[in-house]
Amino acid sequence: MSGTLFLTQLLNALSFASLLFFLASGLTLIFGLMNVVNLAHGSFYLLGGLIGLTAVRATGSFWIGILAGGIGVAAFGWVTERLLLRRIRGQELPEVLLTLGLALVVSDVATVLWGTSTSTVPQPGYLSGVVELGSLPYSRYRLFLIACAVVVGLVLAHLHRRTRYGALIRAGVDDRETVAALGVDIQRVFTGAFLVGSALAGVGGVIGGAVLGLQPGQEVEILLRTLAVIIIGGVGSLSGAALGSLFVGLVTTFGQTLLPELSFFLLFAPMALVLVLRPQGLLGRQT
Amino acid sequence: MTVGRHLVLPAVGLAAALGAAIALPYVADRFIVNVATLALTFALLALSINLLGGYAGLASLGHAGIMAVAAYGLAVVALDGGGVVAQVTVALLLGVLTGGLFGILSMRTSGVYFLMATLAQGMVVWGLSIRLTSVTGGENGLRGLERPALVEPYWALYYLAVAVVVLGIAAMWVITRSPFGLVLRGVEGNEARLAMLGYAVNRFKVAAFMLSGVLAGAAGVLFAYYNRFVSPSAAGFLTSGKAVLMVLLGGAGTLLGPVVGALLITAVENVMSLHTERWPTVLGLLYILTVLFAPQGLMGLGRDLVARLRPARPGATPGPAPPDEPTPDPPPPASLDAIGGRQPARQGDGQ
Repeated sequence: MSGTLFLTQLLNALSFASLLFFLASGLTLIFGLMNVVNLAHGSFYLLGGLIGLTAVRATGSFWIGILAGGIGVAAFGWVTERLLLRRIRGQELPEVLLTLGLALVVSDVATVLWGTSTSTVPQPGYLSGVVELGSLPYSRYRLFLIACAVVVGLVLAHLHRRTRYGALIRAGVDDRETVAALGVDIQRVFTGAFLVGSALAGVGGVIGGAVLGLQPGQEVEILLRTLAVIIIGGVGSLSGAALGSLFVGLVTTFGQTLLPELSFFLLFAPMALVLVLRPQGLLGRQT
Repeated sequence: MTVGRHLVLPAVGLAAALGAAIALPYVADRFIVNVATLALTFALLALSINLLGGYAGLASLGHAGIMAVAAYGLAVVALDGGGVVAQVTVALLLGVLTGGLFGILSMRTSGVYFLMATLAQGMVVWGLSIRLTSVTGGENGLRGLERPALVEPYWALYYLAVAVVVLGIAAMWVITRSPFGLVLRGVEGNEARLAMLGYAVNRFKVAAFMLSGVLAGAAGVLFAYYNRFVSPSAAGFLTSGKAVLMVLLGGAGTLLGPVVGALLITAVENVMSLHTERWPTVLGLLYILTVLFAPQGLMGLGRDLVARLRPARPGATPGPAPPDEPTPDPPPPASLDAIGGRQPARQGDGQ
C-alpha cells in the first residue's frame, strides 16, 4: 500500500468512524441508561436520511434536510419510547424483540414510500469537490463529516459533563434505582435520552446519506457495526463510543483491503471477546 | 388421579397432532408439505433456543449461527464426497462444539449483555460464512448438495423432519423433567443462590448449550437437505431473531410452544409472501404485538383460558404465574429495602 493510498484510506476510516459516532453516541447512552438495545437504531438512520432527502429535494437546502431528518426521527423515537417501550420496561428480551420488529416495519414501510433503489442526498455545492491536503486531494464533504462529528462530540461531552441533564444521565447509567429514589423522574430522563439518540441517528442518516447513499437493507449492516462500536467502546460511555467508532472505522476500511476474508470476523470477534473478558467495554465503568 | 386428568387433554392433543402430521402428505399438495418441512426445521431451532431461553432464562440471539455451522459442515463433507453418516455426524458434532463454545464465551454475561454476546457470536459465524469464500463459497453459498436417496422425495424428507421433531420434543420432555432441567430453571430463578448451594452453575450452562447445540445441529441437517444449498443468510441475525420470536409467540418455557410458534410463523410467512410483498411489515407487527399482548405465548394464553373455563376445584393447584408479568414502574421514593434487594439479581450483568 503506497503512502498516498494509505493516507486516503486513513481519512476514509476517519470519516466512516465519524458517521458511526453519530449513531453510537445516541445508542450507547440509551443502552447504558435504560438497559435497552434499540435494534431499530439502524432503521432510524435510514428513516432520517430519507426524510432529509425529501426535504432537500423540496426546499433545495441541505441544512433544512438535516433539520427535518433529525426532528422527524426524534418525533418517531419519542412515540416509540412513550407508546411502546415504556409498557415493557425492564424486560430485556421483549424490549429487544420489540425494537427488532419495529426495525422490520420501518425498513419495509420505507421501501413502500421511497422505493428500493439507492438514492443519494445531494451535497451542497460548497461542500462537494475535492480539497488539496498538501499534495493529497481529498473529498471536501468527507472532511466536513469528520468536522461535524468532532463538533457533535464536543457538544455532547459538554452537555454530558457540565449540565444538570448530563449529570442525571451519568447518574442514571451508574444506578437507575438510586436516581429514582432521590426523587428524579427517571422516566423523563429516559424519554429525553431516547429523543436525543434518535435525533442523532436521523441527522446521521442525512449526513451519511450524502456519502454512502440510502438504500433499504443497509440499515442492518449499519446497526451491526454500531453495536460493535458501543460494545467494544463500553456501554454508556461517550468517549467509549468515540474510541469504538475509530476502531470499527479502521477495521472496516483496512480490513476490506488487507484481509477481505476476515473483515467481518475482525469486527465481531472483538465484540464477542470484549463481552467475555471485559463486559463493561474498554472505557465502560464497572460499578 | 389428578395426574391422569392433567394428562388427558395434552395426550389427546398430541395424538391428534401426530395423526394430522402423518396424514398431511396424503391430503396436501407439494407446496404445503414443503412449507411444513421448513416449519419443522425451524421448530427444531426454536426447541433448541427454548431449552436455554425458556427454562434457564438465557435467550440466545445467535442460535442461527449454530444451525449454520452444522449446515455448512454437512455441505462441505457432502461436496467432498463424504457419505450420509459422515455428513450427519460432522454436522451434529459441529452443533455440539459450536453450542459449547457459545456457552463458554457467553458464560459471564446475563440479561441484555447475554443477548449482545450471543448476537455477536452469531455474527461471527455470519461474517465468516459471507467472507471466508475459500471454505463457504461466500455470498453464493455452497450449492449442488444432494439429498440422501432415502429422503430424496419431498414427502420422505418431510417424514424425516416429523420424526426428528418428535424425537426433539421427547428429548426436551425428558431433559426438562430431569434433575438437570430443575437446575436450569434454578439458573433463571436465582443463579447466585444456586451457586451458593454448591452447583457448578457454569458447567450446567455449558452442558445446556451443548444439548441445545445438538438440536440446532439437527435443524442444520434438515435445513441443508431441504434447501440443497447453504448460504450466509442461514446464520443472519434476522434468522436468529425470527426463531426467538417463534419461541415467544408459541410460549417460552413450554414443551410444545416453540413448535406451535414455528409452524405458525413459517406458515404465515409463506402464505403471506404469495399475496403481498409487505411480509416484513407483517412479521414486524407480529413481533410487536406478541411482545405487548402475548408475552407468555399462545400456550400460555391457552393454559389461562383452560384454567378460566374449568370450574374451580377445591385444592386445584393454580398454574405457574406467567414469568414476564409487566412490572409497574417503581415509585420514585422506593424503599431502601427494594434498592438493596435488587442488587444481587443484577450482579454480573456488566454494570
